[in-house]
Amino acid sequence: MNEKEFARKLRPWLEKSAEQVGQIQATRLRSARLRALDAVREPERLLGLVPVSAGMAQTIRYSIVQRTLLWLPLVALLTTLAFQSTLGEPDPGEIDAQLLTQELPPDAYLDQDFRTWLAKPQG
Amino acid sequence: MATRKEISDFLASVERRAFKQCVFSVHDEEGAHDIVQDAMMRLAEKYSGRPPAELPLLFQRILQNAIRDYFRRSKVRSTWTTLLSGMGLGGEDDDADPLETLEIEDSGSVPAGPAERLEQSQVMEAIEDAVKALPERQREAFMLRYWEEFDVSETAKVMGCSEGSVKTHCSRATHALAKVLRSKGITL
Repeated sequence: MNEKEFARKLRPWLEKSAEQVGQIQATRLRSARLRALDAVREPERLLGLVPVSAGMAQTIRYSIVQRTLLWLPLVALLTTLAFQSTLGEPDPGEIDAQLLTQELPPDAYLDQDFRTWLAKPQG
Repeated sequence: MATRKEISDFLASVERRAFKQCVFSVHDEEGAHDIVQDAMMRLAEKYSGRPPAELPLLFQRILQNAIRDYFRRSKVRSTWTTLLSGMGLGGEDDDADPLETLEIEDSGSVPAGPAERLEQSQVMEAIEDAVKALPERQREAFMLRYWEEFDVSETAKVMGCSEGSVKTHCSRATHALAKVLRSKGITL
């Protein structure tokens, strides 16, 4: 008898031996199986679209959050710079209006002596 | 990916065979039950996202690893027990409840005639003893290859060895079993 033939004849005996596991052990195995099934994590839908395993969904979600956090300081810096540049730049029209409405004529600012007089400390 | 029902059906189909495999290995029903329970839990927790076709191989791999872990733990435990009993700290279990060790006959199966039933149980016992007596790796290879019906390559993957080793282990196991059964006058 060759190896496979011998194994083929032995197999039904082994099956029978498994079938004859006592009632108590069978019940315990069943409850172990049910406990294990409670630990099965159902697949989740990522962003409500693609079904993925729970573990994978968690990893993807984590990676999205991580990437967002990585870009956050840069976005904040750019926003601040843009805001400051709009605040800091004076409107030329407004400057012209101020000059024209002052009592001092605009030509006075071109007069070098007037600038020297302005810089001089007032006695 | 496997659904809850597919995992449940798979576990239901293998649990008794897995239990017997463990009993053959560790020679202790309590230990065998713990190992199977552990293996089921690990499969459900970590590999429930895998396709159903991969479950048998994964489960066997987990089971064989759990058996090896059991032996490792037993070795450590027996070392400590020997040390403690040598120091006179290990107490004998005088308060054991005899009801806990009382065997309950399985009345689920329909018995054949008494003589036939006796003969069958004797053959079964002889086969189980012969399988239990095999060296660990030979038994593992034989069970995976001829009971779980994995091919040589799958068996090698589960056992973490070469295909050549699987063939050698299987051949030796078969010859050893045949020799033992022949010596007891059992023909299959």
